[in-house]
Formats: sequence, C-alpha cells, structure tokens
Amino acid sequence: MSEKHNFGIKPVTCHAVSGDKNGMALSLNDHEVKIYKKSGGKWQETETLDEHGQRVSGIDWAPKSNRIVTCGADRNAYVWTLQDGKWKPHLVILRINRAATCVQWSPQENKFAVGSSARLISVSYYEDEHNWWVSKHIKKPIRSTVTCLDWHPNNVLIAAGSTDFKARVFSGYIKEIESKPSSNSWGTKMTFATLMAEFSNGGGGWVHSVSFSPSGEKIAWVGHDSSVSVADSAQGNRLVVVKDSFLPFMGITWVTENSMVAAGYDCNPMLFTYNSGQGSLALVSKLDIPQEKAAGTISAMNRFKDLDKKASSGDTSAELKTQHQNTITQVSVFEGSKDKCKRIATAGVDGNIILWDLGSLERSIQALKIS
Amino acid sequence: MAATLKPYLNCVKETLTAAMCVQNFDSQVVERHNKPEVEVKSSKELLLTPVVISRNEKEKVLIESSVNSIRISIAVKQADEIEKILCHKFMRFMMQRAENFVVLRRKPVEGYDISFLVTNVHAEQMFKHKLVDFIIHFMEEIDKEINEMKLAVNSRARISAEEFLKNF
Amino acid sequence: MILLEYKNLIVQETLKDKIRNVVEGGKPDNVDITVADFDGVLFHMSNPDGNKSKIMVSVSLKFYKDLQEHGADDLIKREYGDFLVPAEPGYNVSVVFDLEKVPGDWEKRVEKAALLKRNCFASVFEKYFGYQEQGTEGNKRAVVHYRDDETMYVEAKKDRVTVIFSTTFKDMDDVIIGKVFMQEFKEGRRKYQQAPQVLFSHKEPPQELANTDARMGDNIGYITFVLFPRHTSASARDNTINLIHTLRDYLHYHIKCSKAYIHQRMRAKTSDFLKVLNRARPEVKDKEKKTITGKTFSRQN
Repeated sequence: MSEKHNFGIKPVTCHAVSGDKNGMALSLNDHEVKIYKKSGGKWQETETLDEHGQRVSGIDWAPKSNRIVTCGADRNAYVWTLQDGKWKPHLVILRINRAATCVQWSPQENKFAVGSSARLISVSYYEDEHNWWVSKHIKKPIRSTVTCLDWHPNNVLIAAGSTDFKARVFSGYIKEIESKPSSNSWGTKMTFATLMAEFSNGGGGWVHSVSFSPSGEKIAWVGHDSSVSVADSAQGNRLVVVKDSFLPFMGITWVTENSMVAAGYDCNPMLFTYNSGQGSLALVSKLDIPQEKAAGTISAMNRFKDLDKKASSGDTSAELKTQHQNTITQVSVFEGSKDKCKRIATAGVDGNIILWDLGSLERSIQALKIS
Repeated sequence: MAATLKPYLNCVKETLTAAMCVQNFDSQVVERHNKPEVEVKSSKELLLTPVVISRNEKEKVLIESSVNSIRISIAVKQADEIEKILCHKFMRFMMQRAENFVVLRRKPVEGYDISFLVTNVHAEQMFKHKLVDFIIHFMEEIDKEINEMKLAVNSRARISAEEFLKNF
Repeated sequence: MILLEYKNLIVQETLKDKIRNVVEGGKPDNVDITVADFDGVLFHMSNPDGNKSKIMVSVSLKFYKDLQEHGADDLIKREYGDFLVPAEPGYNVSVVFDLEKVPGDWEKRVEKAALLKRNCFASVFEKYFGYQEQGTEGNKRAVVHYRDDETMYVEAKKDRVTVIFSTTFKDMDDVIIGKVFMQEFKEGRRKYQQAPQVLFSHKEPPQELANTDARMGDNIGYITFVLFPRHTSASARDNTINLIHTLRDYLHYHIKCSKAYIHQRMRAKTSDFLKVLNRARPEVKDKEKKTITGKTFSRQN
C-alpha cells in the first residue's frame, strides 16, 4: 500500500525521480542536492550536488535525456549531466533578480521553465551555436511570486500559479527551436508569452500547485483557501471549485484523466474526481486511513530522559495519526504516467517520502474508486 | 470560569492549526532576502486578515498570518494591580530569554502582553501540531501561575503582618 | 526568621568572641571591623590608638543630629554610663571595653553595645511617650530624617502618640506589593486587639502632615501608627520601641523576599515551558555513535 522512506529530520523541500525509478534527487531544505540510488528497497546516498549558494527550491529529472535541472534561492539554475558516473553542472543564466521558486522540464526535454519571486517565468532553451542556455521571460500580467508551474503535453503551453491568487496558462513557444504549434482547446495564437487563459477561483488563496491533465485539456490547482479548482478548456473554460473543512493543499497532480491527488497541511493525500459531463468535482477519499497503533513500551532510560527534557512522562508525545507527521510539500507521479498512475510519491517537512500504490489502495479502501 | 476557558482554548487551537500553514518564501521585494512577511509587510497580497479571539474584554488572542510566518499575541487576564505587575514581570522575564524560546518575540505587539512569532523555519524544525500544543499549554498555565503567585504574595503579607502585630 | 533582630548580631558575636577569649586567658588580638546596619547605620570596632587591650565600638547615624534634639545624648549617657567615651571622629557615639579589667556582667554590656542603634532611636520615642503620659499637649512634632529621602514623624497627644513613617519605593512594583502588605496590616489588627492601629496612605501624606514639607509622589507611601497608653506605658515601652523602629525595614525586607520568591517561581515555570516546547522537536532516531576505540554502537530506544 505505502512505503515510507525516511531521510532524516530535516524537511524534504523538493524531490525528483529518475526515468528508471532507481534514482532520486532531493534537497533537505539547504543548498545541497542529494542523489540517492535504490538498492534492496532502500535509498543509498551516492552523490551530493553542491553548487547552489542558497536553498534549493526546485528539482526536475528529465526521464529520457537523464538530465537534472535545479534552481535555488540564489537566483541560479543548473543543468546536470551524467559524465563518467559523476554529475557535472552547467550554469544557466536566468536573468532574474529574485529567488527562483520552481523548475520543470518540458515534455520533450528541450527546454525548461523556472518560476521566480521576480514575478516572472523564465523559459530556457539550449542554443547549439553558442553552447549556452538562453532564457526568455514571461512577465505580464503576473503581479506576485510565481509559485508553481506545469507543462502542457504539447510542449508549448505552461500553466503557472502565483501568490496573486490566480492560475494562468501561457504560451512557452520558442520559435528558434521548434515548429509552429497547431491550435488546441486553449486557443490558436501562441506567440511566446501570450496569456491563453487566466483563472481566479473567486477566493483569496495563494496558488500552491498547478497541474495539467494528461490530455492537457484541463488544469487543476490548489490554493491557500483550502480549495481545489479545475478549469476545463474543452467546456469553454468552465471553472469548478470545491472547498471543504480541510487545511490548504501544497501539491496536486492528476493520476488519471479525471482524478487527481492533492496533499498539504493536513498531512494526508486525498483523491478528487472531476466529472466533465456533470461539471462536478468531489472528494473521493483520503488515502491515509489511520490505523490504531499499539502503545509501545518505553525504556526506563527514555522515560527519565523525557521527564528531564520535555517534562512529560511519555504519553504526551501523541503523534499525528497520519503517516506524515508534518506538512506534505510536494506530490509527484512516481511510477506510471499522469493518465495511468501506478504509484505517487509525497514528500514532507518531517523528512519522509512516502510512496503510495494506488492499485492496492483502491482495493483496500472501500470508498476509493479511481476513475 | 473553567466552563468558558475550554471553548476559548479550543477555538484558539483550531484557529492556530489553520493559521500555522506557512511555507518558505523568499522576498519578492528585496533581493536575496527572506524575512517574515508578517513583520516586514512588504507585499500586502502575502498577508492574511488578522483574527482576534476574545474570551472577554481583557483576555484575547490576536493571530496575524502571512505566507511564511504567523504572529500570535496574547492578552493575559489582569484583574487587579498585583496581577498586572506579576504578569508584566513574568512576561518581561520570559522575553529576556527569547533566544531560548525561539518562537517568542522580544517585544509584544501593542495592546498585548506577549507575542510569539512562528516562521517557516520553526515550522520546519518542529512538529506543527506540537507547536500549537505549546501555545495552548502556555495560555492554560499562565493564568494558573499568576494566580498562584498572587496567593503566595498575599499569604506572605498576612503571615508577616500577623507576626508583627502579635508581638505588641 | 520572620521578625528582624533589633540588635546587631555581628557586633554582639564579635565582641563576645574577643572578650571570652581574654577572659579564658587568651591574648587580646587586633580588631578593625566596620559593619553596616539598616538605615545607613555604620558600626566600627577597633583598638583605640592601636591599644590591643581595649576595644572601641562606635556607631554613626546620619540623622544623629535630629535625635540629639530629642535627648539622645542623655539617654545614651543613662544606658552606657561609665564605658562611654568621647566619640571617635566620624562617628556619633563610642563605647570602650577594657580587656584588662573585664567587668563581671560583660555579657550584658556586650548586648547593650549591640543595641546602640536601637537606643539612639529610642530617645525620640521615650520623650514623646513621656509627654503623652504627662498629658502635655502642643509639643512640636519630632522630625527624624532617618534615611536620605525618608522621614519619621512622632507626635504626642493626650491620649495617644502618632508615629508616621514616610517611605520611598524605588520600584513602582514595590508600591503595589507594599499595598498588599499594608492591607494585611490593617486586617491583622482585627485578630490582635492589643496591636496599635495601622494606617497606610499612598502618594499623599496623611492629614496630620497636611501643610508640612512632607513629600508627595507616586512612589511615596506613609505608614501611620496610633499608639495608645497601653503601648506607651513604662512596662510596654521597650517592646513597642523595639518593634516600631524596625517596621520600615521589616516591610521592605518582606517585599524583597516576596519578589525573590516570585522570581524563583518564574524561573521554574520558564524552564518548564521550555521543556514543553522541546516536545515539538523531532529526535534523531537510531543514530550510530562511535566509541573512542572505533566500535560503533546505537542507542537503545
């Protein structure tokens, strides 16, 4: 059902998985990126990528070309390539004057987008003649920090969420390196930085995460007002919002064409289903069904240690009933793809990455039907 | 009295749980800065509406939140002069030790007796639900402690006065 | 120790030691000790002119001049008589013990020496207690500036003697704690009928002192004792003086004790709060540690 992997007590701020699922890159809330290799069900640290000067804020691992891109609060991005078993950095000049917040490879892996506190999105592509990454900026009409990004499967459109309470779809078409895109449900004219759509769910929530559906027709995003929203371009940009009595979500990803998993401050991933026929969006079930833990015995030494340090006699250390003991910062597809996801990964402030097997969860939780 | 304390604390607890949803957030105004937005107030879209929860006129909690930090200010019950100075002394004593307390603000927000500042760094280093528990525990204990100190001063005064007068 | 001692214990113990030593056949040794007492009073014990066979005890009171007006000199002469000597420069009263001819009642005399300060004070009270006994009215009010900014007033009426202390609270918090104490002094009197009436006024002087130069201010308090004949009669007189003249110090002493106690509690509570905060910190589990020989061990959990 779920596998828990602990990486210490520091928060896992961002993580990415390699194409063959045997490699993991993550940052523990500092300036280093650590590379892990799976061996015998455990993650072994193999390398530390130490190039950023400040906290790393985003990592993405391109599955096909096996390159890693990282960005950080030091306003830089690096593209890492594996040469002779070692990761070699290549600096990307993003031309931003504030921290970078998130990064993602485009589906064809020939460019990547970086969100920034400078209230812009930087799209970088490789110029062969100069051997250099070149960046172009999308500025208007973003009025606050860009917190999250997602690429459309057509390799052109970018969805972006921002702390100005809006989710937007931009064109990231780079005429220098690709042929003219054909029109799709979001529009026809797609010169670089064109605003294709702009959504506000009516509330005042910072957008924490945004995701394109596998077909690219819908975007889903989560906001700080504890909402989950879906905008459907096939239905004339129809907007559906659901709010419930949970804490805000930090991450969301589609797991089939109609279902998505969101997770955040409640420390519990939840599955939502969108029904395009009825135009409805609803919570299906929480994925982490708490199990009563048997009260463990504490040794005499720990008992007195607790008394001394915490003035408690053991029982007050009541843990949360969920597997994650602190906020989940990111949700990603671990195995499979967005249209047929087998396992998802959630990373938390408690230093854990938990892999959830959707197939076995669906069998064990009665209410959970993934459509 | 105890009957109204419980719902008051419950309300504060739930509000704090909801308010303490903070994340790391680099300044979008000053280059290479990362400051608690609730303090610097550099961009108004990053602040949430402050909430005041009050039990009565004197006892209340102000919760101000922002994208990367929240500020909790508590007004403690002070029924008379002696409670006032005891409270004042106690709060000053604790605030002088703010570096040990990590989440304690060195100065209270105006109109309140003590303020806590929880930033994303604290929320990352510590369990969020335990931080909430700490604030609630603090609010529970502070009234009790001030009451007991007041009683102690009173009984000392009584005994020393009686002892003195007895000797005439 | 709830009540304060009205004699100076250090003076008493030192003298006792020195004299007993000589009485038991020991050799007299050097003495030069300065001791401070309440109200800025200083005691000095020394060998006059370096003569080891004599010990001189001198006392200095900043307000001795005030006391002299009320017959302090006479009282001192009465109490100390033959072992009184001209005062040492810088001091107000000096007495001498001759170690070569120690009188038989030396222990009593030592105690008396330790009471020097109390006896200086006593002169004022005795005088006014006397006035009241005789029923003479209209005497001038006695004013003793017993501390830099604190004053004592004594006044005799036909049926009572009023003693008023003005006292300054350095810390505003002391005023409030002081009020709590004075409240208890008022209440306490209900239980002990024989005790004098105690009044407390804050900021402004009581009516008796209206139109005088009595100080006013936020941090000034006035304590008034109304002493009736049963307190001032010859038999009760000494006890009353003993108690009254230590009142101011007694009050401040207990205010300070209360503050110290509060401080101690705050300290304990603060460390308690810190422990509760520690509960929020995650612990590193199963950390392997190395011993100095290089062996690894993990902590049992």
